[in-house]
Amino acid sequence: MNSVNSVTTDDRTLLEIDDLTVAFGDGAGSVRAVENVALSVAAGEIYALVGESGCGKSTLAYSMLQIVPPPGRVIGGNVRFRGRDLVTMSKRELNALRGAELAMVFQGAMNAFNPVVTIGTQVDHILQAHPEVFPDPKEGRQHFEHLLELVQLPPKRIWKSFESQLSGGMKQRVAIAVALLLRPSVVILDEPTTALDVLNQRLVIDILKDLHRDLGVTIVFVTHDLAVVAEVATRVAVMYAGRLVETGTVEEIFKAERRHPYVEALINAIPSVLDAGLTVQPIGGAVPNLADLPAGCRFAPRCRLAEDLCRHTEPPLLGDGGGHLVACHVVNRDVVPMEVSKA
Amino acid sequence: MSLLDVRNVTHTYDTGTGRPVLHNVDLSTQEGEIVALVGESGCGKTTLGRLIAGLHEPSSGSISFEGSDIAGLKGKRRKDWRRRVQMVHQDPYGSLNPGLTIGSTLAPGMLRHKLANRRTVQAEMIKLLQQVGLDATPVFLQRYPHQLSGGQRQRVSIARAISLQPKLIVADEVTSMLDVSMRVAILDLLLSFQRDRGIGFVFISHDFGVVRYFAQGGRIAVMFYGHIVEEGPVEELIKTPSHPYTHMLLQAIPVPDPVLVRKRDAEGGGSERLTGDPSTKGCVFSNRCPLVRDVCRKEAPPLIDIGSGHRTACFFSDEIPPLKHLTADEASPQPTRS
Ligand SMILES: Nc1ncnc2c1ncn2[C@@H]1O[C@H](COP(=O)(O)OP(=O)(O)OP(=O)(O)O)[C@@H](O)[C@H]1O
Ligand SMILES: Nc1ncnc2c1ncn2[C@@H]1O[C@H](COP(=O)(O)OP(=O)(O)O)[C@@H](O)[C@H]1O
Ligand code: SF4
Ligand code: SF4
Ligand SMILES: [Mg+2]
Ligand SMILES: [Mg+2]
Repeated sequence: MNSVNSVTTDDRTLLEIDDLTVAFGDGAGSVRAVENVALSVAAGEIYALVGESGCGKSTLAYSMLQIVPPPGRVIGGNVRFRGRDLVTMSKRELNALRGAELAMVFQGAMNAFNPVVTIGTQVDHILQAHPEVFPDPKEGRQHFEHLLELVQLPPKRIWKSFESQLSGGMKQRVAIAVALLLRPSVVILDEPTTALDVLNQRLVIDILKDLHRDLGVTIVFVTHDLAVVAEVATRVAVMYAGRLVETGTVEEIFKAERRHPYVEALINAIPSVLDAGLTVQPIGGAVPNLADLPAGCRFAPRCRLAEDLCRHTEPPLLGDGGGHLVACHVVNRDVVPMEVSKA
Repeated sequence: MSLLDVRNVTHTYDTGTGRPVLHNVDLSTQEGEIVALVGESGCGKTTLGRLIAGLHEPSSGSISFEGSDIAGLKGKRRKDWRRRVQMVHQDPYGSLNPGLTIGSTLAPGMLRHKLANRRTVQAEMIKLLQQVGLDATPVFLQRYPHQLSGGQRQRVSIARAISLQPKLIVADEVTSMLDVSMRVAILDLLLSFQRDRGIGFVFISHDFGVVRYFAQGGRIAVMFYGHIVEEGPVEELIKTPSHPYTHMLLQAIPVPDPVLVRKRDAEGGGSERLTGDPSTKGCVFSNRCPLVRDVCRKEAPPLIDIGSGHRTACFFSDEIPPLKHLTADEASPQPTRS
């Protein structure tokens, strides 16, 4: 049987994750924050990783750069960038890729900057460490100024600023500009709009779309907010308790016809300004403790469609012929299982 | 008589830039009413909330609670007012003392205000845990904040506030640090206290979705750099915004539907001037306003009534375009909230 997600290695595939499992800790106390996940990110995509807190989104994002914090480690599967496996790559090769090919913007842009040095000095340090990208540092500085304009910040002022002089929204945008400094092909952002007010959220949303259009950079971002997904993403992977439960284009994910019950619950939980919030439904319960997972489908204890089958058999991730995959017994009842992921 | 009357309040922090962070703010709430404060980061929402809760004193102007100026309250009446106005903060991590168990967090307030005694306090706390949807056991009272999830911590903060039987709760961004999936449950919990105990709310949020859900039947006050620029009934203000800033905030909201997103983007009206300093001359919003004209740079528009208690501070409030993507589906009948 073929894994649907690993067969599409065409020229446009940049990042390919195959049957990836990431564990924290060893032996009896270990938990799998990411389990048997397969997905591929093509050049030019804006790929969203979605799920509630604790579902493994950040861990999956970190594994794309091999920066999962200890005691976390990859215990199975591969992460390939342009066909090269990062899991088995040497430290030196990895360091050459990070920043220059794959860049990361951390959640809240916190700890991203050194508080006692100006932003400009920090940018100079990065440029000095990568003479291969900008042999002439002046050119690098000019590029950074251009990036600051793209993220709608005044270059001169920001260059001389210390982190403490920037608001949360500004810090987030400076962090995005810094991540793009070395012209990476992929930038990965963890919760880029979380904790920002609505105008700063809108600014970041528009900026991500602009950067994508103007620089052609491929974007992977993590969020728990499906409204932000609808605004920005072209492709989406939804995670629940370490597992991929649905992936497809943004239109496929939001279309009601064939949708994972978890995704539906997430959409219905948004207090929306559109309908006076009258139809809003909280998702009861919580993401299960990864050390004490329910048998069968991990979402079953919170699922309104759960049946006996769900409580003892884990549902496979199935396609309907295209790239839209859903892991749910009920939704897939009529789907002929010709394409099965490595579950 | 209003429950709360904020009159002409201006506030400047001693340690700040010297510029006032609140300018001549007027705001009243009735008993059991919900008034939402909306505006971008730094506009002064928390500052106003803290003044209302008595955590700072305003530089000028007055705040009255149940008809009495709080600056003049003494002795038992002062203690009573302190108990009757409570604040719940944004950050469920920062607002609980990490060194105190949940029991030690909840007990002192009830004992101080004689709402429980040494013998009854444990039972009262268990009752509270149950009321806020937490594990109502003595074991839970022994736990520390770091052992709880963000949502559980926020429930503990809410339990601490309602344990003092307040009349008014200032709820400052109580759901913004929580996952979207947890927000409605927390809002429903707070709404149940409004419904069952008649507690009024000053509800601070920058998220209109959350505000529309929570403050139905109540009012919204929109703030821009310390000025209330628009105030009115929730539904009316959202459907027919009468200040360009309110329009900008509504237009900015991420829409959880890719089809509507494309529709809105096609309508145009992009995101220019989402940031920018307030103007110190004329209309405070004139640096960012898409409708700005000469008169706006010379004169400050007063906050005036445009009918049924809807106030706005804009010379050209009848020129604000409608938000088509937000109002297109309004024709369909809406189910009532349970
Ligand atoms: N203790 C303080 N000392 C000095 N300045 C302060 C203090 N607290 C707040 N400020 C300033 O007052 C202004 C209003 O801040 P406030 O916290 O009330 O805004 P807010 O609307 O609640 O913002 P947010 O949405 O970010 O919480 C800001 O310019 C802020 O920097
Ligand atoms: N450094 C760590 N040590 C131990 N467990 C961790 C660590 N980081 C994350 N985890 C666990 O991995 C799971 C997924 O976490 P994370 O990837 O941060 O999820 P998300 O980003 O979706 O909130 C959680 O159960 C979390 O507790
Ligand atoms: S497999 Fe069953 S429990 Fe799981 S999401 Fe589908 S219906 Fe719900
Ligand atoms: S008064 Fe003028 S500048 Fe101020 S909000 Fe109205 S149109 Fe804009
Ligand atoms: Mg995370
Ligand atoms: Mg605040």
